[in-house]
Amino acid sequence: MLDLLTTLDAWLVAPLTDYAFMRRALVGGLALSLAAPPLGVFLMLRGMSLVGDAMAHAVLPGVALGFVLAGFSLPAMSLGGLVAGLLVAGLAGSVSRMTGHREDSAMASFYLISLALGVMLVSLRGSSVDLTHVLFGSILAIDDTALWLIASVASATLLVMALIFRVLVVECLDPLFLRGQGIRGGLVHGVFLGLMVLNLTAGFQTLGTLMAVGLMMLPATTARFWSQRLEGLIGLAILIAMVSSTGGLLVSYHLGLPSGPCIILVAGIAYLASALCGRHGSLLERVRRRATPLETDENTCTPS
Amino acid sequence: MSRLSLETLTLAQGGRTVLENISGTFEDGAITALVGANGAGKSTLIQAIMGLLPPLSGKVSCGVPKERRAWLPQQLALDLTFPMSVEELMLSGCWPTHGTFKRYGPQDYRRMHTIMQRLGLSGLAHRPLGELSGGQRQRALLGRTLMQEAELLLLDEPFANVDTHTVEILCDTLREMASAGATVIVVLHDMEQLAQLANCVLLLAGGHGQWVEPETLLERHHAPARRHAHAPFISLNLPDVPPCSTY
Repeated sequence: MLDLLTTLDAWLVAPLTDYAFMRRALVGGLALSLAAPPLGVFLMLRGMSLVGDAMAHAVLPGVALGFVLAGFSLPAMSLGGLVAGLLVAGLAGSVSRMTGHREDSAMASFYLISLALGVMLVSLRGSSVDLTHVLFGSILAIDDTALWLIASVASATLLVMALIFRVLVVECLDPLFLRGQGIRGGLVHGVFLGLMVLNLTAGFQTLGTLMAVGLMMLPATTARFWSQRLEGLIGLAILIAMVSSTGGLLVSYHLGLPSGPCIILVAGIAYLASALCGRHGSLLERVRRRATPLETDENTCTPS
Repeated sequence: MSRLSLETLTLAQGGRTVLENISGTFEDGAITALVGANGAGKSTLIQAIMGLLPPLSGKVSCGVPKERRAWLPQQLALDLTFPMSVEELMLSGCWPTHGTFKRYGPQDYRRMHTIMQRLGLSGLAHRPLGELSGGQRQRALLGRTLMQEAELLLLDEPFANVDTHTVEILCDTLREMASAGATVIVVLHDMEQLAQLANCVLLLAGGHGQWVEPETLLERHHAPARRHAHAPFISLNLPDVPPCSTY
């Protein structure tokens, strides 16, 4: 028993008590896990799961420009990423409205241009090691400034989400109802995309620009296998993200692997396990499917 | 008395003129059927009345505040995979009074339960929308407009793919809303439903509109309507009938 406790302590607790960088990484990961998954849930429900991925690519040139101008400075890189992300989102939205083309095609075009620009900028100035750092993040680099940034972004995200929650929900189901009430759906959409870009830029330090979207989407898509209610989806997605962040960090510490991919892979394993044996729509549920008994209440209507 | 009128209204969609020089008034407390073949411009007109489509020329004069105008789109327009319950959908009808921030109170829940009972939805409050039948969903959507206390109600083919029980409930509710003073505009394809429900008809064909009495329209189509009570107005052209006398 004592051996077990000692092993658990060595695996789960010691890395955090012994090293300040692990504690900072954990706090950063947990803060991101609070803010990013609710955004992921709404992205998933709006059929925009891949938009997060596109935006993660889109912030790259801004991050790279910050890196080129100010070296490995978190505020400069984050600001650059934020501006680039908002610019791509704004341009994609404008082109889509002007031309009547679907927003995803405009966004795909702009993020590809943006990505190419970003890679070009990084390779002009830095080495491939720097590029890897920007793409995949590093827990070692999280300092107090980074933590403040992540914590502020997470707090602001939760606050704004609470303020626009009802509008977002109604807009997802029936955007015309909202327009009829005089609410501009485009504004809500813009605020939502802005929050997404903020979280992606906050997450790139721990996870890297491309991995940051993983902590947003994978917990959300995993939660879909366990809950059919919005509150359930959001709560579960946050829980899954927190467990993945902690688990991924510990795995990365013990096995000497990069932290970003580790965190996302732990979330990925949760997704695969849920797809196999989750409560709703999983493979196991399909195999075991039983018919629910006939309803006898007065509301059961005969088909027309 | 009328709070909604069209003045030489011309509407276009995607650079193509759909309706030209439509004029007339929709009386308060009346149910107007909007009829016409597919592509005649019924949905375009509804969009213009809702203020979602700016006219090419002419105007829609509407004295009903925006938040009291309700539009029941065809069910296909809704994302039914969204995890929302009947209760949540109906409470969203409180938007005019509650907006984005105000909490729903006990009186809102009481009102919702009364409306649910009236629409035969009791016991379904927590049922996800995706698990409802077409008829139950349509009743829930009408429930939202009742929660909204809509004074102008536009319905786009509300009876498509719903059971007869639902059609009866919807018709009764629409009549009640109209007798309470609401202006109701319904896109209809079915002659029998038109005969039961409409006080007046706005017929759209060939880009033009004509106001006619339902009886006149029914008389003109009496024989085919009897033989094929549910035959849609697929090949309807502007009939040579006198205009609706009350409008």
